[in-house]
Amino acid sequence: MKTVRQNLLAIPILVWFGLLVGIPLIYVVVLSFMSRDSLGNIVFQFTLENYQRVFDPVYLKVFLNSFLLAVLTGIITLVIGYPVAYITAKLERKQRAAAIGLIMLPFWISSLLRTYGWVILLGSSGVINNILIALKLIDAPIPMMYKFSTTLIGTAYMLIPFMIIAIYNSVDKLDQSLLEASYDLGASRWKTFLKITLPLTVPGIAGGFTLVFIPALGLYFIADLLGGGQTVFLGNLINTLATRGRNRPLAAAFSVGMILLVLGVLAVYGRITKDKVEGLFK
Amino acid sequence: MKNRGIIIAVVLVLAAALVVYFSGGKDKGSEINLMTWGGDFIPRAIIDEFTKETGIKVNYKEVTSNEDMQSLLEANPDQYDLAVVTDYMVDILRQNGMLEQLDKEQLPNLVNINPVYQGNYYDEGDEYSIPYAISTSFLLVNPEAVAELGASPIKGYRDLWQPELKNKIVLIDWSVEVIGLVLKSLGYEYNETDPVKVAEAKEKLFALKDNIVRFETNTPEDSLVNGEAVVGFMYSNQAVKGQAADPRLQPVFPEEGMPIYIDCFVMSKEAPNKAGAYQFLNFIMQPENAARIAELTKFTSPNKAAEQYLSAEFRSNPMLNMPDDVARNTSFYIGVDRVLDQYEHIYSEFKLR
Repeated sequence: MKTVRQNLLAIPILVWFGLLVGIPLIYVVVLSFMSRDSLGNIVFQFTLENYQRVFDPVYLKVFLNSFLLAVLTGIITLVIGYPVAYITAKLERKQRAAAIGLIMLPFWISSLLRTYGWVILLGSSGVINNILIALKLIDAPIPMMYKFSTTLIGTAYMLIPFMIIAIYNSVDKLDQSLLEASYDLGASRWKTFLKITLPLTVPGIAGGFTLVFIPALGLYFIADLLGGGQTVFLGNLINTLATRGRNRPLAAAFSVGMILLVLGVLAVYGRITKDKVEGLFK
Repeated sequence: MKNRGIIIAVVLVLAAALVVYFSGGKDKGSEINLMTWGGDFIPRAIIDEFTKETGIKVNYKEVTSNEDMQSLLEANPDQYDLAVVTDYMVDILRQNGMLEQLDKEQLPNLVNINPVYQGNYYDEGDEYSIPYAISTSFLLVNPEAVAELGASPIKGYRDLWQPELKNKIVLIDWSVEVIGLVLKSLGYEYNETDPVKVAEAKEKLFALKDNIVRFETNTPEDSLVNGEAVVGFMYSNQAVKGQAADPRLQPVFPEEGMPIYIDCFVMSKEAPNKAGAYQFLNFIMQPENAARIAELTKFTSPNKAAEQYLSAEFRSNPMLNMPDDVARNTSFYIGVDRVLDQYEHIYSEFKLR
């Protein structure tokens, strides 16, 4: 009886996923094997050509470019996010709630607007350049926009809350008695951190990395606005091909490639967390 | 077994809800569904007047690309009455059999349209489309800044390769436009397929990379206004806005020629309210209305009769009212589908350098 009731509760979400995730996903996969006629219309004729073109050296470089951006975003958000999460978790209850609130606050504002905020900050007639010029530290504006690094800053900024929250959760759940035991046995704070805290928060790090890595592959408007379209990322390429590029089957093939890349990362994440959990209880 | 019954029940209820939702019991006689670009491409003020005059409500669906309009129209041809699409899309839609052949008897105001903008490649007999807005793209230049950099004055595309212009050019972010510009600079035509000429253009394109500070389709004029670029290749309505923000900026109509785009009204073959759609088309083609639309949107009007209602300012602006020699030096991007895949590939390779 209990299982029936549990299943009952799962039905809405199953229908939801089935309709809104499953069907479009199947559509994308089917589309990626379709051909086009001379007008760019999709015709139901099986072809592997789209996948052949995904493996073109130029387009593989696009994959590499996006992978690099996503990995670097993960590393930057980790380096900045870990101390923030660690300190937040050690705060008093009231302060902690305030800190978490501040971390989540940006989500209340449209991500597009926040990206424009960076344009206002970094532009050649932007806030930073104007201040530096007013202080007579520089004569001409420093070009800070439209570079790979600008895109990286924007993407890392956009996704860092996911990293902080993921790590915060695992620091928060840390068993205090383990730390006390470590101190009792004479370990220094640093050693305790390296030997106890860090290994036990690896699942949080891996979770945060995954949460940051996956959307970093797709935030194409940041590359357009901050990167000035100077390079090509997967998201931009898929967006172009699906609209003005008039090649939705190829766009679908790239999307399948992107999904496989994400599944690869999720598999690594699964391994890391599984090892950790098993290691704990052995 | 009990489970399965519940699942089936839930699915049936959801399906019923969807059917009810999409069949919608609205009265179709009093409204028309219009689909086109956002950003007040068809000004609200004009639409409101139409509703006031005729009592027909206009549902305006904003779409961001011709391809999205095509998808929407082909998926639900009976959900839309009118769309405004760019020339090449008229050609595709008519060949796909999506468009209603217009009944000219019902379009008395069609006589106001300038024949110069009719009979084009996408609709030789003007059977399916009515031109609504004309735009071009050309160079917007800050001549003082160009001189300060030590570069010679910009007269055409070929001047963009000057090393003095390093990181000082902004371009529309679209392979066909950018490669088209390079082809024109070499004296070739748009959408060239000859492999020798394309290879030549590719090499020349790669040499332009260092001069480009930014690729931007929506607001390239901003880069000239804020000084990060001194030359920009952009759409005419953007150049008009740029000059309004900074009067030092000057249009340069490239000697080699420039692209022209005509956005046209088309009617869905399965339009639910064709009578209302004809009324709307006539309203838009009234000279006074066409003139106001041109003033508001900063697009050249194809309406010959509207000219007398245009402000002196509008008429004397060469970006909006092209001189004849400039107008003759324009051409369409014909046969985009033949070259797109190859150009996109070249463009990606160019950007990844």
